[in-house]
Amino acid sequence: MIDFSVYETKQLEIYAYRCPECRAEYYPAPMLCAKCHCRRDPSGIVHKDWDPFPLEGACTLLTWTRVWALPEGYDRPCEMFGIVEFPNGLRAAGRLEAASPVMGMALVARVEESTERPGPPAKVFVFSEA
Amino acid sequence: MAPRVGIVGIGHIKFGNLSEYDLVDIMAYTATDALRDAGILADRRMVDQLFVANMGGGVINHQTGIASALVSRLGLEPTPAELVENGPASGGSAIKLGYMAVASGMADVVMVVGGETMRKVTGWKATDFVATLGHPEAEYGMGLTLPAFGAMFARLYMERYGVTERDLALVAVKDHANAARNKYAHVQEPCTIEAIHESPDAHVVNNYVAEPLRLYSVCPVSDGAATVILVNMDSPKAAAFRHPPIRIAGLGSATDTHCVHNRKDPLHLDAVRLSAEKALAMAKLTPQDISFAELHDAFVVLELAIAEEVGFYPRGKAVEAVRRNENAIDGKLPLNTSGGLKAKGHPVGATGVSQVVELVRQLRGKAEPGRQVKNPRYGMAVNFGGFGNNVVAIICAKE
Repeated sequence: MIDFSVYETKQLEIYAYRCPECRAEYYPAPMLCAKCHCRRDPSGIVHKDWDPFPLEGACTLLTWTRVWALPEGYDRPCEMFGIVEFPNGLRAAGRLEAASPVMGMALVARVEESTERPGPPAKVFVFSEA
Repeated sequence: MAPRVGIVGIGHIKFGNLSEYDLVDIMAYTATDALRDAGILADRRMVDQLFVANMGGGVINHQTGIASALVSRLGLEPTPAELVENGPASGGSAIKLGYMAVASGMADVVMVVGGETMRKVTGWKATDFVATLGHPEAEYGMGLTLPAFGAMFARLYMERYGVTERDLALVAVKDHANAARNKYAHVQEPCTIEAIHESPDAHVVNNYVAEPLRLYSVCPVSDGAATVILVNMDSPKAAAFRHPPIRIAGLGSATDTHCVHNRKDPLHLDAVRLSAEKALAMAKLTPQDISFAELHDAFVVLELAIAEEVGFYPRGKAVEAVRRNENAIDGKLPLNTSGGLKAKGHPVGATGVSQVVELVRQLRGKAEPGRQVKNPRYGMAVNFGGFGNNVVAIICAKE
């Protein structure tokens, strides 16, 4: 029987990390916990790696811009970007989709695949109106 | 006690579109300019260390080993030569390393050359190249560029402190007035507040680049190079130079989070504050002792924010000085007398060295007529790498 699971699309998630010792949360993950100095081991060989968890859902817009001078790879005249804060206090930057952005507005974060930038496809945050 | 370190030679090329020239050639041109200024062109083997500042030679010019190429182009072999890459703060960092080489006693005469040719590629490739200094996944991969960071910073800053687009335009008008008199500036055209803000057609001339930043809020993409020659002022060799040295009185550097979003307050430029504090402490000065300053205004809003972090003004108050025109050449505290990155230009690897060349020109009293600060004693340069994550502050003093 054919195992169709091998064709499953890789889930589009961007992960934040939780220190296994003191439970401090980070995005993106550093190599050392700033609070308890616990080391991360992405290989999981020497130490247990930190606990990843998807960063998504409700967030608040901190600041934003509409960029008209886009870098290599974009084929549209402008793109909006923003920085948001999640309820756990973590912040992230990504694309913004909002008709009339206002600082402090409620948004929802999802993850999409982007092929605009040079190199392999990248996972990007898209923040849209809640 | 560490020896005193001074600057005895400066060289600069006119910033602009130099894409038909070779990167190492324009660096070598400014190096020979500095050797001639120092009076040691024929005796250039007095230079016993070369530091070269460059950010994108490998990416843009497809050239590596630039320090080796430059030392050979100048016929300076076997002088030791190293490349310093620290993003847009490469120039300031190279001067810091030059200072350390002299202060440690490892060298008596050090040449620091910064250069970049960014216009060899299209504007969108140049923007992409500079954006690679962001976090690969959390910033660059998201599509964020330096203008995007500058704009998001500006929006917060304007909202918190009541700064308007007109205020930012006033900074640009002042910078362009200075650059119009600077023979090395990329953009030597003055502009008026009417043309870029108040006239009905202003939005055409001064369109948005990254809202709320407009064309006249953002530095141009420039090519260029600059050189300074440092000497141990307490060595007998110091007598060999044509100009009395301009002393490096203070030097400080600091870093901040790689990701901009991880700063507790996104408007606090901690690395600027810390590097300036270190430089001022080393020089035994206060911000009020500084006669004029070159601040890294890749986006004009940064002139205000950096001026506040350095301690020239309380937070949110720099705009009041702008409205009173206090930062003009004949004002209380002249800022970006060269035209700044905004109008003089910003060839990234050259910028930190170029800022210090301007300090020396002013402190020697040799800036062009109409651009000379009256009786300056101390000048400060703040060279800002990344979006504030790696900063070098340098104070020069007229002895």
